[in-house]
Amino acid sequence: MKNPELRAQNRRALVFLLLGLALAAVLASLPLFHFSAVVYTKKSPNTFVGDATYQSVKAEVEALAESYREQGLEVSLDEEVIERVNSKGETTSLVSFSLNESFGKNLWSFLGKGIPSSLAALGIVLGLSLSAVFAMLGLRGSAELPVRYLDRRSRMLRNAACVSALLALLLVPVLLMMNNYAFTRQLSLYGADLLQDGREQVYARMDRFLFAGTLGENASKTLSGLQYSASGMSWLLLAAALITLLAAVQLRYGWIKGPVLRALMYAFVVVVCLVTLYPYYVMLITGFRSNAETLDMYFLHMFPTKWIWSNLTDIVHRGVPRYLLNSLLVAGGATGVAMLCGIPAAYAMARMSFRGKKAFLGFVIMSQMFSPVVLLIGISQLMNTLHLNDTVFGLMMINAAFNQAFAIWLLRGTFVAISPEMEQAAMIDGCGTLGALTRVLIPMATPGIVTALIFVFINAWNEYTISTVLISTNANRPITVGITQFSSFNMIEWQYLFAASLLATIPVVILFMSIEKHLAAGLTSGGVKG
Amino acid sequence: MQTGLNRTKWEPYLWLLPSLLLIAIFVVFPILIVFKLSFSEISKAGVIGGFVGFQNYVEAVKLPAFKTVMLNTLWWVLSVVGISTVLGFVIAMVLNQKFHGRKIARSILVFPWATSLVVQASVWNYIIKYEYGSLNNVLLNLGVIKQAINWRSSYQIEFIWECGVGIFVTVPFVAFCVLAGLQSIDGSLYEAATMDGAGFWGKLRNVTLPLVRPALTVSTVLNIIYVFNSFPIVYTMTKGAPAHKTDTMIAYLYMLSFYERKKGPATALSVIGFLILCACAGLYMMTVMRKEEEQ
Repeated sequence: MKNPELRAQNRRALVFLLLGLALAAVLASLPLFHFSAVVYTKKSPNTFVGDATYQSVKAEVEALAESYREQGLEVSLDEEVIERVNSKGETTSLVSFSLNESFGKNLWSFLGKGIPSSLAALGIVLGLSLSAVFAMLGLRGSAELPVRYLDRRSRMLRNAACVSALLALLLVPVLLMMNNYAFTRQLSLYGADLLQDGREQVYARMDRFLFAGTLGENASKTLSGLQYSASGMSWLLLAAALITLLAAVQLRYGWIKGPVLRALMYAFVVVVCLVTLYPYYVMLITGFRSNAETLDMYFLHMFPTKWIWSNLTDIVHRGVPRYLLNSLLVAGGATGVAMLCGIPAAYAMARMSFRGKKAFLGFVIMSQMFSPVVLLIGISQLMNTLHLNDTVFGLMMINAAFNQAFAIWLLRGTFVAISPEMEQAAMIDGCGTLGALTRVLIPMATPGIVTALIFVFINAWNEYTISTVLISTNANRPITVGITQFSSFNMIEWQYLFAASLLATIPVVILFMSIEKHLAAGLTSGGVKG
Repeated sequence: MQTGLNRTKWEPYLWLLPSLLLIAIFVVFPILIVFKLSFSEISKAGVIGGFVGFQNYVEAVKLPAFKTVMLNTLWWVLSVVGISTVLGFVIAMVLNQKFHGRKIARSILVFPWATSLVVQASVWNYIIKYEYGSLNNVLLNLGVIKQAINWRSSYQIEFIWECGVGIFVTVPFVAFCVLAGLQSIDGSLYEAATMDGAGFWGKLRNVTLPLVRPALTVSTVLNIIYVFNSFPIVYTMTKGAPAHKTDTMIAYLYMLSFYERKKGPATALSVIGFLILCACAGLYMMTVMRKEEEQ
C-alpha cells in the first residue's frame, strides 16, 4: 500500500500550499488599502490667483505641509478657486487651500478592531494559517499512503485544511466588499462640509470610525474628506488563497481536476440560481417598500428598512382581488373547456383509426403555431360579431381554443402510453366507449391529465396580450392587465405593481413546480409516440 | 355489445367535433377575417370598405419603420433562440449530473417559465432603471461599481436588454426539454463509449447530441414560434420607443392597429407574420412527422 513516489508528490503539494500562505503574508503586509483625508483647510476670501494675499497664504500653507512632511507624512496641497459676481457687478474670488494626506493600511492593521471587516481579515489570516497547520498534521505518518487508504485522523485533518482554505478564499471578496461598503458608501452620505478640526482630532475620529465602528458626533465634519480605495493588488489575495486551496485539495483527493470541476459545477449552479432568483428578490423587497424608498437613488440597503405591509391592503382597495377572481374564472373556465373538448379528441387520436387522422393532427399542430397576437385584429372583430367583446366568457373561450393544441398533444401522449387492454376488457364487460373512457382510462391517466390541466391553467392565467385588447371594462380585467394600472405613463407605483405581481406569480410558480417533471417529457416526446 | 372493432364509421369524428369546433371558431375564423381585412379598405375609424387588392401590403412595406422592425425581429429571434438553446443545453447537462441540491436548483429554474411575461418585463424594467434601479443599487452596495451606471443609455442597449430578458425567460424551457431528453438516454451507452476510449467531447458528440436532437429540435422550433410571437417584453420595456427602433414585428403590429389606427397596413403585416409562422410551422410538421415515421 505504501508508495514512495507519493511522498514526493505530497511534498510538492505542501510546498505549493506554503507558497500560497507566504504570498498571502507578503500581500497582507503591503499597504493595500488606501485612505486619504483632508487634514487642513484654509479659505482665503477676496483673493485672486497670483495676488499678494494668495502668495502669502499659499506660502503659509506650504510651510505647514512641509512640517507635516518632515514628520514623515505624505501630504499634498490642493487649491480651489471659487469666482462669483456679486450684486454690484464686481467679481469676487475665494481661494480655498487644503492639505490632503494619504496613507495606506495593511491587512494586519485591521485585525482585532471591532468592525466587521476585521472579522473577515481575521478569517483570512486564520483560515490560511490553519490550512497549513492541518495539512502538515494530516501528512504526518501518512505521506506515503494513497488517499483512499488514509486513516480517519489524517483524512479529517486534510479535510479541515481544504475547508479552512476555502473559507479564506471566500472571505477575501467579502473583506473587500465590506471595506468598500463601510468606507465609500457610508461616508458618501455625510455632507461635503469642509474640514475644520485639527489633524489630531481628525485621526482620533477616523480611527474611532475605522477601527471601532462608531462615528461619534460631528462625524460629518471630520470625515467629509475621507476617501477609501483598495489597490488592485488586493485581488492577488484571492490568487494566494486559491493556490493554498488547490494544494490542500490535491493533498486530500490526490488529484485536482475532479474536485475542481465539481466545484466549478456547483459555482455554475449557484450563479444560475442566483440570477434566476434575482428578479423575484427585487419583486419581494420592492413590493414591501415605501414609495419613497423605491425611488431613492441613494438607497443603501439591500432590504427594506421597514416592511410596509400596508402595500397589500392598499392594492386590495385598488381592485386586485377582483382581477385575481377574473383571472381565476378565465383560467379555470378555459381549462375546463379545453379539457372537455381535448380529452375526447385526444382519446380518438390515441385509440381510433380513421381517415383524416393525420390531417387533424397537422391541423392541431398548426393551430398551436399561432399566437393570438398575429390574429388580434381578427379576434377582436370576431368577438364584436359574437358580442363577446369585453367579457370574461369571451376571454375564456379564446384561451381554451389557443391551448387546445397543447392539451391534445399532452393528453394523446399520455393515452398512447397506457395499454388499451383494460378498456377493451371493460368494453367486453358491457361498458360503452364513453364508459371505458371515464371509468378506466381517465383514472389511469390522472397524472398526465393533471399535467395538461395545470399547464393550460397557467398559460391562461399568464395571458396578457388578448386581454389588453379585448377587455376595456376595469371590472373585467384579469390580473396580468390589472397590474399595469400601477405603471401609468407619468407615475409608476412600483411598490403596488410588485406587491400585486407577487400575488399573481406565487400560486402559478408553485403549481408549475408540481408538474415540471411530467411536462417537459410530455412536450418533447408525449405527442409523437406511437 | 360494442367493442373497438365495430364502431360506426363516423364515431371518431363525433369525438373530435367539440375540439374541431372550438379551434375552427376561435382560431381559424380570425385567420380568415385577417386575410379578408388585409385586402379591404379600412378607414381610420375602423369602418371596413371594399376590396382594394394589395394596397394595404404596399402601404405596410412603405412604412418608414418597416425595415428596422423586420431586422429587429430577425435579430430578436436569432439571438434569443440561439443563446437560449446553447445556455439551456449547458444547464441541462449540469442538472443531469447528480449533486446535492439538484432538486432545489430544478425548482428554482422553473420560476421564469411559470411567470407571466408582463410581470417579468416589469421587474427587469425596474432593475435597470438608472436613477433608482435595483441593479445599480445592489452593485453599489457590494462595491462592484463606484458610480451608478446608466444601463439604458441608447436604444441599441435597450434592445439588447430586451433580448436579455427574452433569453432569461426562454432558457428554462430549453433546459427542461433537453433534460427530459437526457434522462431518457440509456446509461449503458455512455459506459460503452467510455470502453471505446471516448472522452467528454467524444461522448457529447457521438452519444448525447444525436440522442437529444429530437428534444432539441422540438424545443428550438417551438421557441422560434414563441419568441417570434412574444409581445409583452418589448411592449412593457420600451413600447418600441424611440420611433419603433426597438420594436419587433408583433409589438409594432399592435402599436399600428391599436394606437396609430393604421388598421390596413396592420392587417397586411399580420398576414405577413402569419405566413412566416406558416413556414416555421411547416418545418416543424416535417420534423415531427419524420420522427413519427421513424418510430
